[in-house]
Amino acid sequence: MIEQRVSVASDAAQLPVLTRFLKEFWSAAGLPPAESAKFELALEEVFMNVVMHGSPAPGTQVEVSVILRDGGLTLMVENDGPAFDPLLLPAPDVAASLEERKVGGLGVYLVRQMMDAVCYQRVAARNQLRMTKRLPTGGASPRVAPGV
Amino acid sequence: MFEIQMGPAGEVVMAGRLDATQCDVALRFLNTVPKLRVIDLGRLEYIASMGLRVFLLTQKRVKGLGTELKLINACPQIHDIFRYAGFDRIIDISCASA
Repeated sequence: MIEQRVSVASDAAQLPVLTRFLKEFWSAAGLPPAESAKFELALEEVFMNVVMHGSPAPGTQVEVSVILRDGGLTLMVENDGPAFDPLLLPAPDVAASLEERKVGGLGVYLVRQMMDAVCYQRVAARNQLRMTKRLPTGGASPRVAPGV
Repeated sequence: MFEIQMGPAGEVVMAGRLDATQCDVALRFLNTVPKLRVIDLGRLEYIASMGLRVFLLTQKRVKGLGTELKLINACPQIHDIFRYAGFDRIIDISCASA
């Protein structure tokens, strides 16, 4: 298992820091480049949700962990804000016409499309969102479970 | 890094990462382009929901002016994001290989 962790302020300007953290983890672990953007997207969506909806005040910290285990990668985003489960947000109508399309609401929907599993927990007065996806090849662990 | 500029044939050219920190830059630029129609995504490497929002707002705006966006040269990964979001139903988008 490989795990790395970073902590940034709950501020949109910190997004490039998180992206760089993920990219550095990706190349150091030798993970398949084609899969990287899905995790970058998931991280951006969840982080921006915390920035826009989940933080009581500027300067609140957001912790991001990346865990590579058994051929799968888990992204975990935690913060101290009030309880906020983004998975309860209503799903967007992706078949709506241009006139009916609402601006926003797509982030969590896209994360669900990109990841194999997404779950929210309230743990010790913290919001914790875990996103996991199996990597097709090139993961560091030889113990890749069968099936996709 | 994200870049947006006018191309030689009057199209808008985007390159790099259109992440949440760059959306205002993109929208401000697009709002200044007269007769906006074609946007070349050939060098756009990354987009997420906030980036999609730029295209939705712009499509709504130009539709009100009687025209529609045409997004060209999207790489498969970018095209997939538009498709997952159902944006291929409301914005004309074509792939680089199409």
